[in-house]
Amino acid sequence: MKPEPLLTVKDLKVHFPIQGGIFLRRQGTVYAVNGVNFSLPPGQTLGLVGESGCGKTTVGRAILNLIEATSGEINFMGQNIHSLTTPKLRQLRREMQIVFQDPFESLNPRHSVRDILLEPFIIHNVGDDASREKSVKELAERVGLGASALNRFPHEFSGGQRQRIGIARAIALKPKFIVCDEPVSALDVSIQSQIINLLIELQREMGLAYLFIAHDLAVVKHVSDVVAVMYLGKIVEIAGAQQLYKNPRHPYTQALLSAIPSTDPEADLTKKQILKGEPASPSSLPRGCAFYSRCPIGSEECLQKVPELLDLLPEENNSSQSGVALDAHQVACFKVPVRKT
Amino acid sequence: MALLDPITRRRFKRFCSIKRGYYSFLLLLGFIVFSCFAEIFVNSRAVVVVYKGDWYFPTYGAMKPGTAFGLDYGYETNYRELKAKFEMNKDTSEGWVLLPLIPYNPLENDLVEGIYPPSAPDFSRSHYLGTDNSGRDVAARLIYGFRICIFFALFYVLCNYTVGVSLGALMGYSGGRFDLIMQRLIEIWSNIPFLYVVMIVSSILAPNFFTLAIIMVVFGWMHMTWYMRTAVYKEKTRDYSVAARALGAKPQRVIFHHILPNAVSTIVAFVPFSIAGAIYSLTSLDYLGYGLSPPTPSWGELLAQGTGQLDKPWIVMSVVCALVLVLTLVTFFGEAIREAFDPRKHTVYE
Repeated sequence: MKPEPLLTVKDLKVHFPIQGGIFLRRQGTVYAVNGVNFSLPPGQTLGLVGESGCGKTTVGRAILNLIEATSGEINFMGQNIHSLTTPKLRQLRREMQIVFQDPFESLNPRHSVRDILLEPFIIHNVGDDASREKSVKELAERVGLGASALNRFPHEFSGGQRQRIGIARAIALKPKFIVCDEPVSALDVSIQSQIINLLIELQREMGLAYLFIAHDLAVVKHVSDVVAVMYLGKIVEIAGAQQLYKNPRHPYTQALLSAIPSTDPEADLTKKQILKGEPASPSSLPRGCAFYSRCPIGSEECLQKVPELLDLLPEENNSSQSGVALDAHQVACFKVPVRKT
Repeated sequence: MALLDPITRRRFKRFCSIKRGYYSFLLLLGFIVFSCFAEIFVNSRAVVVVYKGDWYFPTYGAMKPGTAFGLDYGYETNYRELKAKFEMNKDTSEGWVLLPLIPYNPLENDLVEGIYPPSAPDFSRSHYLGTDNSGRDVAARLIYGFRICIFFALFYVLCNYTVGVSLGALMGYSGGRFDLIMQRLIEIWSNIPFLYVVMIVSSILAPNFFTLAIIMVVFGWMHMTWYMRTAVYKEKTRDYSVAARALGAKPQRVIFHHILPNAVSTIVAFVPFSIAGAIYSLTSLDYLGYGLSPPTPSWGELLAQGTGQLDKPWIVMSVVCALVLVLTLVTFFGEAIREAFDPRKHTVYE
């Protein structure tokens, strides 16, 4: 019995118009997100990986309705967020939060830590002054800052500490879902693990679900239950974390995984798959498979049709020990044996 | 000071460290405060009158008729004559009078028989800068003119910025079609020649202090919208305002709580220069006779008189010196503010 998903994203598309001229006529379109599907059960983590510009961040922000989606459906806690009225959506924002990549940008430099942490309570009119003060102190201590930090300002903190402030702000109203938009990629490696561990602890304590956006595959493997690989606005492969790392099927995933630096000095570097060329521009997508231009195994068929994200055939799935992975491994590639619909 | 956020505190400290601007600001502030109490220093009414053992302070309050001090008329006492009279009859010692530094108000004509005004500076009559065409004291008119001018400029800039900042912030925040249409409207509106139209309107309306300011605001608010629009556009996409929106903050909270405090440097850096511009505009309007209606003391009007008769240099000299002094101080102040609020100075890692 699968749990009811907390979040379901169906065919999400976010297209940005390229406007020009004095009347801002539409001169083109950037297909930032071009049909993304996934669902996320409560308390789990979905890792979203892909190179820069593939639309990971846009997916995260579209789910929170910070960027308007062009089409598609986002169901959060049984409600379609696009059909909600503005006040209802504002109410729902208590349940979904975001942690940003750049801790220098995401905190208002003019507000003290107390102001920053009080803001969620003020916006949603939760508690009175005394209880707010107490909550803010607890929050600061929970993320490892200590109450003395409250009177200080963001610039007095290091990157890791600021990220803790950002996390404290996100968990202030006890949400069910947090978009972690590359929360550690701006931090030192030594600090990264502390922040990751904090996020994992909080997830266990509060039953949080994460959409963990990153480009560091090692980090994603460590935190995620399910990993989705994005390429040019589409998910090309999605599977349980162990499964994906053990048995990557899409040529892009394989190339990504082989690009992880090895700690073994004896490793055979010639086996590495190195992608050639640049990804196609999201404003002029090719007709067939978007990955064709860089694909080592592409053929005529890939030029004509766009591959859909389909279930991998069970016999191809050589790690059947995990029940979740078996029915979750989906690949969008003609060269991989998939179950045709 | 503890209430201010650290950025403002740093900027304030930096401003104080720029000596030229800081002292210009203090001097200017001194002038403004002094001009607020100008009635004590420049007035036809005495500061203190002691008459038959009673103390009188006629500066503020209702006028005292001559009969109150034993004179034979019922209209307002001429304190200069009263002083002369007391000094003549020193031996009877009815009392004494303390006159202000400049014992003339800016509206009265001090005419002397046989001399046709304007008259040159005359210390014995306490006309330190002489008199103008109708025998009014130039120094008194300068000081009262300064008071009107500076408060007019402050009021004008306040109204101007209120309109410009809120519209600009709205344009930047909402973007899209509203922004586009407003931009075009503002471009059209900006092409109306400012002084020319203000002259036409004010020649029809015969404006007072407030109506003139409003007329000027109607044709002058556009300037600030551009800067605000850009600043808000920039700040709105920064993560901290996205975070506020993600928390469910309403647009007004995002604008007033997050964006405006961070865009304030743009506004503040412009204020002194706008004040200088307003002083300049008012003076030009008065000079041309379309500003505040006479006999309001005004620099523009003095300038017009002075340039009309360059052989009487005390008029034009004093008003030009005053203008140059005030505008220089405002500009020094503005430079220091701009320097102190320059964001590049604050992005250094410490």
